[in-house]
This record gives sequence, C-alpha cells and structure tokens, in this order.
Amino acid sequence: MTTEQDEDLRLLRDSVSKLLDRAGGVGRARRVRDDGAGWDATVWGELADAGVLGVATPEEAGGLGMGLPAAGVIAEEIGRVIAPEPVVPCVALGIGLLHRLCPDDPALENAIAGQAVLAVAWQERGPSGVSDAVDCEFSGGTLTGSKDWVMGLGDDAPVLVIAKSSDGLALVRVAADAKGLTKKAARQSDGSSLAALNFSATPAEVLAEGAAVSTALADAIADATALTAAELVGLSSASLTLTLEYIKTREQFDKPIGSFQVIQHRAVDMQLMLEIAEAGVRESLAAMENAPNPQARARQASRAKARAATAAQNITREAIQLHGAVGYTDEFDVGLLLNRALVLSAWLGDAAYHRRRWLEAREAEEAAQ
Amino acid sequence: MTDWNALSDAEFRAEIRGFFEAEYPEELRHLSHRPKFAEIEHWHVKLHAKGWVAPAWPTEYGGMGLEAAKLLIYYEEQQRYGVNRGRDMGIQMVGPLIIKFGTQEQKDYWLPRILSCENIWCQGYSEPGAGSDLANLRTSAVIDGDDFVINGQKIWTTMAHDATHIFMLVRTNQNTERKQQGISFILAEMDQPGVEVRTITTLAGETEFCEVFFDDARTPRANLVGEIDKGWTMAKALLSFERIFIGNPGLAQNALAQLETFAKGRGAFDDAVFRDRFATVALDVEDHAALYSRFADQLKRGETLGADVSMLKIWVTETYQRITELMIEVAGPDGGTLGPLQVGNIGVDVLSSFYKARPSTIYGGANEIQRNILSKAVLGL
Repeated sequence: MTTEQDEDLRLLRDSVSKLLDRAGGVGRARRVRDDGAGWDATVWGELADAGVLGVATPEEAGGLGMGLPAAGVIAEEIGRVIAPEPVVPCVALGIGLLHRLCPDDPALENAIAGQAVLAVAWQERGPSGVSDAVDCEFSGGTLTGSKDWVMGLGDDAPVLVIAKSSDGLALVRVAADAKGLTKKAARQSDGSSLAALNFSATPAEVLAEGAAVSTALADAIADATALTAAELVGLSSASLTLTLEYIKTREQFDKPIGSFQVIQHRAVDMQLMLEIAEAGVRESLAAMENAPNPQARARQASRAKARAATAAQNITREAIQLHGAVGYTDEFDVGLLLNRALVLSAWLGDAAYHRRRWLEAREAEEAAQ
Repeated sequence: MTDWNALSDAEFRAEIRGFFEAEYPEELRHLSHRPKFAEIEHWHVKLHAKGWVAPAWPTEYGGMGLEAAKLLIYYEEQQRYGVNRGRDMGIQMVGPLIIKFGTQEQKDYWLPRILSCENIWCQGYSEPGAGSDLANLRTSAVIDGDDFVINGQKIWTTMAHDATHIFMLVRTNQNTERKQQGISFILAEMDQPGVEVRTITTLAGETEFCEVFFDDARTPRANLVGEIDKGWTMAKALLSFERIFIGNPGLAQNALAQLETFAKGRGAFDDAVFRDRFATVALDVEDHAALYSRFADQLKRGETLGADVSMLKIWVTETYQRITELMIEVAGPDGGTLGPLQVGNIGVDVLSSFYKARPSTIYGGANEIQRNILSKAVLGL
C-alpha cells in the first residue's frame, strides 16, 4: 500500500472518529437502546454527509470509490463506539447490491445521501437454523414466503428482498406498508432488533434478475462479513482500552490491580489477540480488493470473521472478569461492548461456521488448481 | 560486488532462492538435529566462496551488507528451503559485536576466522542461577598480569562440545550498585586445561546443549571486547534485529505444512473435529504472518521497532506448539513412536517436531518474560 493511500485512510479515520465521539461515544449506545428508537437519525445524516455510506461505491455510481480497506476503517470506528446505526448492513448489503445490480436506480443515490436506510432480507429460517435454499418466491409481481435475521430495518423503510424467480434469483423491493407483509422483531442483547418478515402475495417491484443477482449477492455478503469483522476489531479495541484504564486505577490490597502479574499477563494476551485480529482483518480486506475469484473473496471474508469473532468474544469476556463485579452491571460500558459483540459475532455466521467455510473454500481453490 | 539492497524484494528473493535450490545439499534439508560442523562443512565451503556467510555484516568485513528488510527475506528463504543455519554463533553474535565495539586488531584477527569457520563459536550467557534473570550471572574474570582468570559455570551452551571458542558474559566487578553493571564481554579458547565441557541430554534424547565449567581458565586481556564492566549494554544492543526474527512465521508455517501432509495421509480431514482444529491453527499462522508483515514493513520504511514486536514471538511459538500437539493427536496410537511415521511414501517425524517446538517458548526470553516486558513497555502496567 502506498503512503498516499495510508494518508487518505488516516484522514478518513480521523474525521469519522471525531464525528462519532462528538455524537456521544460508547455511552450513546445505552441511551439509544433505552429510547428504543433503534438508531439516531441525526447521526445517520451526519455520517451520510461525511461520505461514509458511499465509501466503497465506485465513483461512476456516485460513491467515493475508496474500496474495502476504507470501508474497513469506518467499520472499525463504528465498532469502537458501538454506534447503533446500521452502517455495515446498509453499506455492504443494501448499497452494495444496488451499485452492482442497478446503479441507475434513484434508490442508490438516496441511500448514499442518507435519505433511506436500506435493509436487505436474504436469509431464511430452516428447521435447524439458516436454510441453504431460497424458497421465498417472486412471480407475477408478488412475493410469497418468509425471511429472517434482517438487520437495520427501519419502521417506514422499504426492504430489499432476495427471492427465487423463473430466472434464478431476483432482487425485489417491497414497500414498508405493502399488503400481506408482516414483521416480527427479535430483540437482541444490545437492544437492536433482527426482523423476521412474512410475505403473502405481497406486491414487489423487481430490480434485477438472473445470474448477476447470485454473483452480486455473494460479493455483498462477503463484504458485509468482512466489514462486520472490522467492526468487531474496533469493538475489541474499545473493550481493551476500558479495561486497561480500569486496572490502572482500581486499587485492592493497596495497589492498582494492574500491578499484579496475573492481571498483566491476561491483559497482554488480550492485546495480542487484538493486534493479530487487526492485522489479519485488514489484510483480508486488502486481499478481497484484488481477489482473483469469488471463492478467494469468500475465503478472506471467512478468515476475517472467524478471527474477529473469536477475538471479540474472548476480549469482551476477559474485560468483564478483569473489571470484577462492576463489569457485570449495566452501568459500566464494558458490558455494552460484550452485548454488542454477541450480536455481531452471531450475525452472518460465528467463528466456528467461518472456520468451516474457510477450510472448504481453501480446499475448493486447491482442487481447482 | 553486487549491491543487493538495490534489487527489488522480488528480484532479491529469486536470487537467494535460486542459489539455495541449486546448491544446498538435499540430504541436509530440514535437519531435525543440530549438526556438528563436520557434517555441514561442504555446504559452508560453498557459502563462503559465494560470500554469503554473513548476510548482515557490512561488505567491508566480508558480509553482504543487507538492510533489515532484505535480511528478513534471506532468512525467510533459508527457513523455507530448510537450509541449516550452520554453526552461526560467530556470525550472528560475535562478529556484529566486534564490528560495533571491537578494536581494529580484533576485527583484523577474528572476523576472517569467523567467516571461514576456522573458529567455531559457542555462547556463554546462561548460568545455573542466571536464566531469565541473566544479570544475576556469577562466573568471574579476574585480571592477572596480561590475562583474565575465569572461574564459574555456564549452562545451556549450545554445541559447546563442537566449538573452538566461547564468547561470554562474565562478572569483572563485584562491587556495583546494580547487578547489570560490572559485567564484561570476553572471548576465550575452549581447548585449555581449565575448561571442561559436559553434554546435557534433552527430552528428545539429543545432546546439543552443554554445561561448561571454568576452573582457573585463562584468556588474554586483549580478548576483552568493548569497555570493561560495560558488557550488559553491549549484549542488549545486539538484540534489536533478533527480536523480530525470533517471531518470524517460518517454523510454524513449516510445521503446519507437515501437519497437513500427515493429516491427509491419515485421513484426518474427514473428521469434523480435526477440521475445525486445523482451520484454527492454520488461521493462527496466517493472521500472525499478517502482523509480522506489519512489523517488517516498519523495518522497510527504516523505522525502529518498538517493544511491541515481542508479541510475534509469543504468538508464533505457542501456535507452533499447538500445531505439533495436533500432529500427535492425528498420530493416534503412534503418538509415542520415535522416528518417522509413514504416510504414503513420505516419512513424518511427529515426535521430533513436537520436541523441537517445546523449548521455543523458553529460549530467546521465555514467553512469561516477554509478557512482563509487553505489560510494562506497551501497556504501561
């Protein structure tokens, strides 16, 4: 990477982190959770004004064209303050699908400008978790079936849906108040919701159809997975920072507990997990930019998520232990980080799932050689 | 003479790789034991003729004059191809010290003999009471006319039984405020009445480590390198490159490749539990390599590495151990069997890899000491 790019990323990081700190830092997540609003529309607008939502969209489609490493920088900063705004789902899935499939649709420009939060419904629930198949069907202008685990769905926002059609997969849009659409929200540990949607002959507008949809979806999912990993890296870093501050000031036996070797070594191991995760995830994002094929992109995304989820779970749990009893209260911010880590680790596949996917992708690439 | 630093990294790597692949004797690749000099002498002769014995030394002293980034590539290729490091204590430790702190006479006399391996060196640092707490060393050197008279004991002296000379840290002043003061760096001949070497048999049944006893052994005062009582600072000054190199991914990458070959041969990839554990260690290696690249890039930009570079050593050695432990699990009932286990037409020496991984968390600063350093210098605890 050239130093000019490094400098661009540094400036981007700086401006996003300032914006988010001004908005209220980690503690804001508690307020937004207690208000029950999901996220803060004012902050969403400010992020859009800063160019955050179009960062990875090519310039010819109206974005900044800075690529995944830049989106990763933003995701890390979002994670550092556990901002409740659904930046990664919207940037990677909603905007990611539109700029790949229908760059001329006005919805793309609107989304980048922050006027609509674009949620994507693509997963379906099977008997034992996520179904491998898409059964939700689009035909004759209506949609029938169900979707689950939709992140970042606003009350009045339309939703983008992946459905099967006569021509393979289709990307369709369903209005918020469409006939036959029912929504059920599953409340998450961090106060956010994942929506389950049911469509019964629901009118839908088709945006794209055919093989291009499958390809774009795979790319968008890989992006969302890797960027969620970056968000977890930022979150882990915040958790460690809080913990270091705490063990330097909390005294027991007349000394800061951070002066005890057993605490020191555990803190070093947290730092080590964080640094490995940060380096690995950033390398994955850079590699995805230049990946020769979808398989290689997916492998890098799985590598990133497997690492980041593992690191975040370990670090946030260790953080609670090193805080002692106060770490178990809602009053202390470390708990917010743990609760957010649970949601982000589970969404789009946890560490064990992605280790499996990583190995399968590696074997498939080897076999293809 | 070629200016190696002027080549691109890729050109330089190709140059090094090409030479190793063309010239390094097949039977010496990936040796599982530390060879005596006689075993690898034919390779050393070739390397010496090529002028590549001392990649880090300045060219005026017969080295390759490589900058840190190129040096890393040299060692990466060496490790990748399984090229034995040879008896390199003189090259790695004594030479740089003499170049930095020695007199002109010392340079003229010792450096050519180090390059040619006419002198083969061993390192006398650790003592029974001075391991992690190295400054606690007690072996003394007392001035007597033109000589130092040495008394005491060194331990974990690698290959002392196949060395002609020893470089050592000795106490030359008993009355200092801090124990790091009063330590000097001296050179001595092994073949003399006051020096006795006993080998130590390791868990792996090998005898590469020794104890060295000094009983009124002598060395000329001219063999003091640098100032008297200032040896501690000098020895520490040498370790900056060592600190990234000891954390390089090579050993773990080689072990992982070995695990993969072995596990394929044993059908372990059909087992879901093994698959998950393999993916875990493989990703541990891959993400470590990413962090290693970050530090290597710092070197390439000419920056000085901070104390945080020690993280690499902790992670890679502990990963290396987990890989070899997993290999033993794959071996099943053969997990205690010495020597190569056959998979197809390849023999994989599982136990030898396991044994080799054990001391990696102990040598070069035990991982617990590394954690102490990181806690203080990086986390500010």
